[in-house]
Amino acid sequence: MISRRNFLLTAPAALASAHSLALLPLWAAEKPSVYIPGEDGMIVRSERFFDLEMPPEFFDSWITPVSHFFVRNHMHEPSTIDAGTWRLSIGGEVEKPLTLSLKDLERMPRHSVTNTLECAGNGRAFQEPHVPGIQWQKGAVGNARFSGPRLRDVLERAGMRPTGKHIMFHGLDEVPGKVPPFIRSIPMEKALDEDTLIATRMNGSTLPKHHGFPARAMVPGWIGAASCKWLSEIKVLDQEFDGNFMKPGYRMPNHPLKPGEPLNVEDSHVVTALNVKSAISSPVEGAVVKSKLQRVHGAAWAGEVNIEKVEISTDEGATWQKAQLGPEQAKYAWRLWDYVWKVPQSGDYTIMSRATDSQGRVQPAIGEWNPGGYLYNAIDQVKVNAQL
Amino acid sequence: MLSFNKSVYITLVALAMLNYKLLLAQSPELPPGSMEKKVTTACTECHESRIILQQRLSKAAWTKEVDKMIKWGAVVDAADRDAFIDYLSTNFSADKPLMKMPRSVSLKNKQ
Repeated sequence: MISRRNFLLTAPAALASAHSLALLPLWAAEKPSVYIPGEDGMIVRSERFFDLEMPPEFFDSWITPVSHFFVRNHMHEPSTIDAGTWRLSIGGEVEKPLTLSLKDLERMPRHSVTNTLECAGNGRAFQEPHVPGIQWQKGAVGNARFSGPRLRDVLERAGMRPTGKHIMFHGLDEVPGKVPPFIRSIPMEKALDEDTLIATRMNGSTLPKHHGFPARAMVPGWIGAASCKWLSEIKVLDQEFDGNFMKPGYRMPNHPLKPGEPLNVEDSHVVTALNVKSAISSPVEGAVVKSKLQRVHGAAWAGEVNIEKVEISTDEGATWQKAQLGPEQAKYAWRLWDYVWKVPQSGDYTIMSRATDSQGRVQPAIGEWNPGGYLYNAIDQVKVNAQL
Repeated sequence: MLSFNKSVYITLVALAMLNYKLLLAQSPELPPGSMEKKVTTACTECHESRIILQQRLSKAAWTKEVDKMIKWGAVVDAADRDAFIDYLSTNFSADKPLMKMPRSVSLKNKQ
């Protein structure tokens, strides 16, 4: 049998013709595409664990279809889940521990939120110096409508004791080796918010497997890791859960670090709500612009608060012009934005987008470096070449 | 002679195994070197090679990663630890160009 490497070594002509492979060493040669049912045009960061990134061109739709919605897994997805036998247990600091079936959840009043879900590590690849982890660029983010019972309604049925301070989520991810299980907790105030759900539906259909079927936590405006998938256990705790994915994982320094400086865990806090951020969908990096009126568009989001404005610069940040915000909006959901750029003459340009939110937060020129690569939100930019 | 059911069963098992091999074969190989096989065995037991291929880290950062993964169950002979770190920090150092990742296609005949 011909190994992949032998094949590559004996086929230099074929390789040379493949533009995307020309700069890579032979061992890193990759197929340009990988067959993954239901996942269309996504950037494959890893198949095992399953991690897919949305490319910038898909920031063009207010609701992200499931086939374009990023997937982030720390572990293996559950190999089998039977909706009929699946159960969700609610215990800990409660009067009446409960076990609910999917039918029980579906019988409860249903609530919906349109939420921009973003992985805490989105943009990690842009941090200098680089930090370990999935090297997400712009697209570990998507906007979808999630529906299901409110978490607080479920907690009320179990009757919380006054000692309950945090709500722990545990999913059915299959943990390899001695890796600590993916268990995290959220504070009671966020758990009792009317928009925090146990989502069983996404974009009007049954929650898909890669997104946590049959039920996931949905903690809107917060990092994706808060919204535990394949939820099987909810536990009311008298304090914050202190496992690996709360400490030392998913923490930001209390004071900015110098790039490369280690994190002092005792002087840090858990990452919760998302930052203010924008992304340019089109033109894409390296595009050739041939029109004197070039449409520039993308999306902007700010976690639990609203986007106030998005500004565009085409002169290295010397001047900024307001983009038009799209008509569709909802609490926690991104705003699409649009701008018509009058291209003055042929040449190289950098297009930049900068969002400001209703709290007055503005995207910085340089993202705050941290060793986890979390909450990167520097002004977005693409380089283009105008040939008028 | 095998019964029809047994033949079907054996065929299905064989197909499943072939499928699994094809799935594994989709991940690119790690770069050649004396540690290639040992690193491949230890790391891809839990995750595929692209998770390594996309990292661009200093030797200090690779040292932390290797020690973390050993703690999390990667089977690495104590005598090989330093060679693992050397192999990874040489091949996946911060100065290397970023890896171009493949795209997914949802229809098999488009691949």
